[in-house]
Amino acid sequence: MSQVPKLTRARQLAGSVWPGRAVDGYANLIVARLRKLAAAKSTGMLPFSGHGEGGIFLRDGRVVHAESSRTPGRNAGGLAALGLGPAAERAPGPDGPRPLGWLTAVLARAEAAVDAALDLVSSESRYAKFRPDEVPAAGQACDIPLETLLTEVERRRRVLRQLAPVVTADTTVVRNAQMTSPSLQVSALQWSLLVRVRAGATARGLAAELNRSVFGTTIEVYRLLALGLLSAPGYDVKEARDYDVVSFIRAASEER
Amino acid sequence: MILPEADGLLAPIMDIDGFRLACLIDASTGMVLAAQQDQADIGLPAAAAGATDIANVLALLNGRMATGESLEDVIVTFSSSLYMVRPIRRDPDPQILLLVILDRLRTNLAMARRSIRDFCVSFAS
Repeated sequence: MSQVPKLTRARQLAGSVWPGRAVDGYANLIVARLRKLAAAKSTGMLPFSGHGEGGIFLRDGRVVHAESSRTPGRNAGGLAALGLGPAAERAPGPDGPRPLGWLTAVLARAEAAVDAALDLVSSESRYAKFRPDEVPAAGQACDIPLETLLTEVERRRRVLRQLAPVVTADTTVVRNAQMTSPSLQVSALQWSLLVRVRAGATARGLAAELNRSVFGTTIEVYRLLALGLLSAPGYDVKEARDYDVVSFIRAASEER
Repeated sequence: MILPEADGLLAPIMDIDGFRLACLIDASTGMVLAAQQDQADIGLPAAAAGATDIANVLALLNGRMATGESLEDVIVTFSSSLYMVRPIRRDPDPQILLLVILDRLRTNLAMARRSIRDFCVSFAS
């Protein structure tokens, strides 16, 4: 048995997670725990409780599902919400669905899992004892290598850090009574967000209403702020500064 | 790539002369869904992030200009390579983008553009 105290061992494991990052965050301990489970090719669920409740499901060390009480699950609207039937689950081919239908269905599962994992890793949640052999319901599963998921989660955290001075998933936004331009064009998604903005609206709440990812909805809310169609406390589109511009390439450049 | 099982969908793009890289990107989140790469010297995360930023900036431009149009494709010419970004489906709210990087010296731009357009049509139909 190892002579290294349990907490110290966890921090040593976390030290290799994101080099250069302080090893004092609980997020790193979660990542270290997940890495250990993946290395052991574990099957089961790592449950979380606290700020956000949920779990990350593994099968043979690969992430097959994740859910959080603070992000919409795929099942809230399911494939029907995407205009897709059960046939979209089958692999594309001559007898199967068209590639885009299949990809959209697979993406819906993966996006829900990544969105939930981002929330669980980033929030103040605490993980509990791993529950072996607890697997998601049939039809829910995706299949993502843990390292791929962690890389994507960290990329999204960098994007959210860019957005943080302007808007977060929990920032209250309001619709502007007057437009800053004589005419504007919005996408169907942006319109569906705009018409749902009521008193106390947040990106997280809008995401739940539309059964979309919280991360994607937060970015879309930011774009509506940039168009001057929404307002957030302390943000004036006329006084927007350079760092207010969200940039995926800047987030990629910060990769360590 | 978050969906490695989708990498095979990009196989037809690899037949284009001068092919170097192709990937599918979720336009709303910037997440790389699938990719095929001929050479390892291209940084996929940066290329995909740059392509998404380009599409988003053009969407913002379109929103401000209120043209009533939708993005068809973007062609960026560097000294030795071509970048093509195209929404898989032409609608006002493109969800999935295709990025293709080609060797400029070995590529016929018109033929490549046509191949990419045909690929997107068959992919989405």
